[in-house]
Amino acid sequence: MYAAPFSYFRAASLQEAVKLLQELGEDARVIAGGQSLIPLMKMRMARPAALIDINFIPGLGDIHNSKGELRFGALVRHADLEHSAAGVTVPILHDCAAGIADVQVRNQGTIGGSLAEADPSGDWGTALLALDTSVVCLGPEGERTVPLEEFIKDAYTTALTHEEIVTEVRVKAPPKGSGGAHLAFKRSAPVYPTASASVQLTLADHNTCKDARIVLGCVGLTAIRAKEAEAGLRGKPLDEKNIRTAVDAARAAADPQSDMRGSADYKRVLVGALVKRAIGIAARRARGESVDAGHEYAGR
Amino acid sequence: MNMPDAKKILVRVRVNGVAREAEVEPRTLLVEFLREHLNLTGTHIGCDTTYCGACTVILNGRTVKSCTLFAPMADGGEITTVEGLAKEGKLHPVQEAFAECHGLQCGYCTPGLLLSTMQLLKKYPKPTEAQIRKGIAGNTCRCTGYQNVFKSIRMAAAEMEKR
Amino acid sequence: MAAKAIIKKKGKRGPVKGSSTNGAGNTASKWVGQPIRRKEENRLVSGKGIFVDDEKMPGMLHIRFVRSSYAHAKITRVDVSKAEKSPGVVCTLTGSEIKRQVQPFIEIGPGGAQKIADYPMAVDKVVFQGEPVAAVVAETRLAAEDAAELIEVDYEPLPPVVTAEDALKDESLLHPAMGTNRNWHGVFEYGDVEKTLKQAAHVVHIGRLHFHRFSSTPLECNVILANWDPRSGDIEYHCNNTFPSFASQFLAPALGVRIDQIHMKSYDIGGGFGIKITSYPYMAVCALASRKAGGRAVKWVETRIEHMQASAHGNERTFLDTRVALDKNGIILAIDSKHVDDCGAFPRYEPLGCVIWAQVLPATYRVKNIRIDMHQVVTNKCPVGPNRGYSRMQHLWFIERVIDICGQTLGIPADEMRVRNYIRKNEMPYKTPNGCVYDSGDYASMLAMAKTLVGWDDWKKKQTAARKEGRWIGLGIGSTLDSGTNNFGQARIINPDAPFSGQSKVGIVKLDIYGEVVVSMGSVPQGQGHETSASQVVADALNITPDLVNVRPGFDTAHNAYTGHTGTYASQFAVTGLTAIHGAAMKLRKELSRLAAWKLQAKEKDLEFGVGAQGPEVRVKGTQKAINYWALANLVNVNNAGMPEELWDITLNCRHVFHANFQIPDVKRKYGNLTLTYAAQVHAAVVEVDRETFQPKILAYACVDDCGKAVNPRIVEGQVHGAAAHGIGAALLENCAYDSDGNLLAATFSDYTPITAVNIPDLLCGHMETLSPFTLNGAKGMGEGGAAPIHTICAALQDALYPSGVIIDDSHNTGDSLFRAMQKAESGGYTGMVRVEHRRASRRRF
Repeated sequence: MYAAPFSYFRAASLQEAVKLLQELGEDARVIAGGQSLIPLMKMRMARPAALIDINFIPGLGDIHNSKGELRFGALVRHADLEHSAAGVTVPILHDCAAGIADVQVRNQGTIGGSLAEADPSGDWGTALLALDTSVVCLGPEGERTVPLEEFIKDAYTTALTHEEIVTEVRVKAPPKGSGGAHLAFKRSAPVYPTASASVQLTLADHNTCKDARIVLGCVGLTAIRAKEAEAGLRGKPLDEKNIRTAVDAARAAADPQSDMRGSADYKRVLVGALVKRAIGIAARRARGESVDAGHEYAGR
Repeated sequence: MNMPDAKKILVRVRVNGVAREAEVEPRTLLVEFLREHLNLTGTHIGCDTTYCGACTVILNGRTVKSCTLFAPMADGGEITTVEGLAKEGKLHPVQEAFAECHGLQCGYCTPGLLLSTMQLLKKYPKPTEAQIRKGIAGNTCRCTGYQNVFKSIRMAAAEMEKR
Repeated sequence: MAAKAIIKKKGKRGPVKGSSTNGAGNTASKWVGQPIRRKEENRLVSGKGIFVDDEKMPGMLHIRFVRSSYAHAKITRVDVSKAEKSPGVVCTLTGSEIKRQVQPFIEIGPGGAQKIADYPMAVDKVVFQGEPVAAVVAETRLAAEDAAELIEVDYEPLPPVVTAEDALKDESLLHPAMGTNRNWHGVFEYGDVEKTLKQAAHVVHIGRLHFHRFSSTPLECNVILANWDPRSGDIEYHCNNTFPSFASQFLAPALGVRIDQIHMKSYDIGGGFGIKITSYPYMAVCALASRKAGGRAVKWVETRIEHMQASAHGNERTFLDTRVALDKNGIILAIDSKHVDDCGAFPRYEPLGCVIWAQVLPATYRVKNIRIDMHQVVTNKCPVGPNRGYSRMQHLWFIERVIDICGQTLGIPADEMRVRNYIRKNEMPYKTPNGCVYDSGDYASMLAMAKTLVGWDDWKKKQTAARKEGRWIGLGIGSTLDSGTNNFGQARIINPDAPFSGQSKVGIVKLDIYGEVVVSMGSVPQGQGHETSASQVVADALNITPDLVNVRPGFDTAHNAYTGHTGTYASQFAVTGLTAIHGAAMKLRKELSRLAAWKLQAKEKDLEFGVGAQGPEVRVKGTQKAINYWALANLVNVNNAGMPEELWDITLNCRHVFHANFQIPDVKRKYGNLTLTYAAQVHAAVVEVDRETFQPKILAYACVDDCGKAVNPRIVEGQVHGAAAHGIGAALLENCAYDSDGNLLAATFSDYTPITAVNIPDLLCGHMETLSPFTLNGAKGMGEGGAAPIHTICAALQDALYPSGVIIDDSHNTGDSLFRAMQKAESGGYTGMVRVEHRRASRRRF
C-alpha cells in the first residue's frame, strides 16, 4: 500500500512551516510523527498534495515545567512523556502515554499530532480533557492559545485553520491532593481502545471529593466530558452509592457506535466499568498512594 | 488542487554504520527504501497498517515501524536493521538467544522482534514479565505463540548482563 | 514459566515398510528424538532468509489488482483506457479478456458443482467482496497502484447471500448454472441412530451451534513472482504456495501447458498454516500478465487487506437439530445432527472439507451410532481454504460442545463425562464406526496430566468460593485430534470420479561430487524446521552428525522430489516426508556399502558407518581400513574407470517414494481408513468472565500433546505453542465477520487483531508419547493442534456461565458477545435451546 504522490517540504522553523502552509494552500498538511496520517495516506483515505515535515525543527522535543504548567513541544513523542518526570508527578499522563499503541508507535507519534488529528479514538484527547489543557496554535497572525475543550470540534476536526500549526500543548499540573487515572480496554496493544476513561479527582479530605473530571473516550465523535457524573461526585464522599451514581451517569453520557471493537450497548457497559475502576485508582493516587495502572487487553 | 511536485529527492542515511543514499519519490516508505533501494531485505512487511511490527528498525536509537514512515523523514538518521546486529560473523547475544531458545519458526517476524528486544533491553536490562510483554506488544508472531520469544528475551537479558 | 512433564508410553510396534536396515549394519536412533537447535535459526535471525518478495528478476514488473467492493453484483462495464495511459503502465488485464485465454479451474465436487465456472478473475459478475475484476501491470509498484485507481468498473448490485441458512433458501444464486447454492450434500450414517435414540435413557436436543470464520493469517502474505518465457513456453514461479503439486494440477489445464512446463520454487516461507494452498488463481493471473507483457517477469505482493478479503478463510460451519442419546451413566450412545458448511464464493479445495472431518467422526469418544447430514453451501464471502485444523476442528468443536452440554444437563462434571466416554488406551488401535483406525493414544492419562498441570482440583475449590462472591469462574477441557497423513481416496466419497487416492512423498539423498551429503525434500516448509528433522533422520541412517547433512531449503520442482501429493499440509511431514528421506538415505547407505566393500575388499557385513579423521566414512570393523565419502563419491563421479560392471547401477543419488498403505474407501458406505496417524491434544483452562466488563480472562492454561515419537522435541513444543496461540486467538480475538451486505468487517489486522504478547497466557505444557504402530519410528504427524483452545475456552466459559443460564453456542467469544449472551439469558433467550427427554430406564445396554 502506497500513498498517492505528494511533494515534500522540510520546514526549518515553525514560522517557515506556517509560511509553507500559506503558500501551498489547503491541500498541504503538516507531518510530525505521522502515526495517524501515514496509515490514512497509505489507504489513500487522505491524499495531501504536499507534506510539510516539522521533524527537523530543533528544540520542539522538550518538556518544560513552567510555574506549575507542563509544556510539551510539538515534537514530544509519547515515549518521551512515558519516561519523563512529568509522568511521575501527573500519573494520568503516564497512564495515557504508556498505553498508546506499542513501543514503536510511541517512539514516533507526538502529543501535538495526536490532538491535531482529533481521531475520535485518540487517547490524548480523552486524558488531557481530565486536566486543564490548552493548545498553542501558531498562524500567520501569530500565536493563540485554545483550551482543549474548544480545540477539538468534532471527529477529525479542530479549531486549527489550515494555516495554523500546533506548537505546544500546555497542561496545568493538578493541585496537591489530586489524583487521576486513564484506563482503556484494548483488544491488543497496536489498536485503538474499545473504550477508555479518564478520571481526575481532587480530594478535600481522605474520602470527600472536592472536584472531579470524568472523560469518556471512543464512545462518541469526540471525547465526552461526563459532567453529570462529575456532579455526582463533587462535594460528596467517595462511597459505593455515589460512585455507582457517577458510573450510571457516565454510561448515560456515552454515545457509542457499533463496530468491530464492540456493539454500542456493550461499549456503554464497558465505559462504565472503566470509569468505576479509574475512580478507584484516581482516589488512591489522590491519597498519595503509588498505584500501577495499565490498560486491559483481551484474554489476560 | 495543486498538482503535487512528486520529484525524487535524495535521502541519505547511515545503515548499520555504513553511509547509504538513494533518490526516491517522497512517498517511498522507509521499509521500501531499505528493501528495494538499499537491498536490505531482512526487514519485512506483514500488515501495511502499523500492527505487526515485521518492519521494525532502529532509527536514531529508537525502534520505529518503517512501514509507517516516509523515507525522507529518516534523512540523516542512523538506522540499525537486522543485518547490522551480528559483528564479525558472530551473532549478537539477542540473536543467539532467539536461535538457542527456538524463539522463531518461519522467521518472518524475527528481524522486527530482535530489534524490539534490543530496544527493550536497553531500557530495561532486567525486564519483568510485564515489561517483556509490553515491549513486544507491537510485534505479531503467528508461529511461536510467544512462549519461546519470552524465553529468548530472558536468556538474552541474562547473557548481556554477564558481559 | 512453562512447566514440563513427560511421560513415555510403550506402544505396540509393528513391522513398518521401509524401516528395516539393510546388510551394512543397523542404524541407531542417536539423533532422532534429540531437541537439537534448528539448522534454520542462524540464517533467519541474521536477516538472511530468502522470502519470495526478496527475489528480483531482471526487467521485473509489478501487478496490482482492482477488486470488487460488492459482495454480489453484475459487472456492467470495465474501462481500463485511462489506466493504460498512466505513466509506467505496461498492460492491463480484465476478467473477460482472461476468460478467452484460459479454461476455468477444475471443480472437485460432483454434479452441479461441475458447472461452476471459476476463472482467476471475475468475468461478468462478482461473488465476493475483494474478488479481482481487473489488473494493471507496471514498471514499479507505485505506478501500478496509481494506475489501478484509474480503472473504472460499474456494478449492478445483486442480493447478497451471507449466511449458510440464507444460502440454503436458494433465493439468490451465486452460480446460476449450478441451480442451487448447495454444492454438496451427503449423509454419513453409521450404526442404528434412530433405534438408539428411541431406547436411550436420555435424549438431549441441542439447538443451533455455530463455528465462526477465522483464518491463518501468516505474517507473510501470498507472494508470486512469475515468468512465462515466450521462448520455451515454460512458466517459472517463485512463490509461497504450500501445495505446489495441487496448484500445478489446477494450473496446467487452465493455462493449457504441460505440467512439466510449470516450474515452482520456494525458499523460506513466512508461515502458512494451510491458507497458502489456494493461491493458484493468482498464480494463473501472474503468468498471463507475464505473457501479455512480452515475457517479462511479474511480481505480485499481496497486501494484508487483499489477504484478508480475498485469499482464503477457514471453513465456517453451522450445526442444526442435534440429538444426542445417552445412557443413564452419561455414556453417549448416538449423535444425530445436520451440519451446514459454508465454503464462501467458490469451492476451490472444497468440497473436500465435507469429508475431511470424517477422519475424526467420533472425536476421542467411543460413540458408535452417528448420523451427520452434511451440507455445503456457497455464500458471497471469501472462498475458504485449509486452515490449521482444517475441517476436523469444526467437527471436534461440535462434539466437545455436545459433551459439555450433555454433561451440564445431566449434572456430570466435564472431566468425568470425558473419562466415561473416551476411547480406552487398551482399545488402540481403535477402529471408528466409519472405518478409520486411531493408531494409538491414551486420552484419559492426557486429561489427568492436563488437570495436574492446570491445578484442576485447587481451582475447583477456588471456583466454589468465588461463585459465592458472585464471580464467574469456569474450568474447561478440550480434547482434540490432529489426524495426519491423509488418504486422498476420501475424495472419492465426495466425488466417486475424483482421480486421486492414497498418499505419497519423495525424499532424495545424494552424495555430491566432493562427497557432501545433500538432501532434497518433497515438502514445502513454512517454519516447521524440516531441514533440521531431515538432517536428524539422515544422520542416524548414516551414523554421522546432522551438521554433516546439507538439506536444501524449500521446494523446487528442479529437485524432482515430488509426486502429485507433494506439499506441506495434513500434519504429515514427520511421517511421510521423513520416511521418504529415511528410505532414500538407506538406499544411499546400501550403495555406499557396496562400493566400499569393493574398494576395501571386504564383505558388506563387516563394514560400519561413522565419522573418522577424514570426515564421514565407511570402514571395516576392527581394522584401520576405511574410505571416506569424498573418495566414494570420487569413485562414482569422476574417477570411475575400472569400476566393475555390477556396480554401474550405483548413482549415489537416491530417490525414495513413501507410499502410505491406504485402500480406496467404500464410497457407498462412506467407510475406510482416511488417515494414518492421530496425534492428540488435551487442554485444560480456567477462565474468569469479569462481572463488570464481561471480558473473559484466562487464569491458567495447560496443554498436553501426544504425537508419538517426537523427532525433535524442541520443534514439537514450538508447534504446540503455535497451535495453542492460533486457537486462543481464534476463540477470543480473531473473527472474519461480515455484515449483512457481505462486507468483511475485519479487512485489516487492526480489525482482525491477531493475538499478541499481551493476550497470550503462559502455557503450561506436558508431553506424552504413545508410539504409532504404523510409522517408521512411532512418530505421528502434528502441528495443526486440532484447535484445542477453542474447545477448551468454550468449555470453560460454558462452565462459568451455565448457572446464569447461558449456553455457549458460538466458537468465538468476546466481552461483547458474553455481555449479549447474559442479556439473552436474562430474557429467557436460551429457553428451548437445550432440551432433555428422560426415560425411566434404558431398555437395553449398549
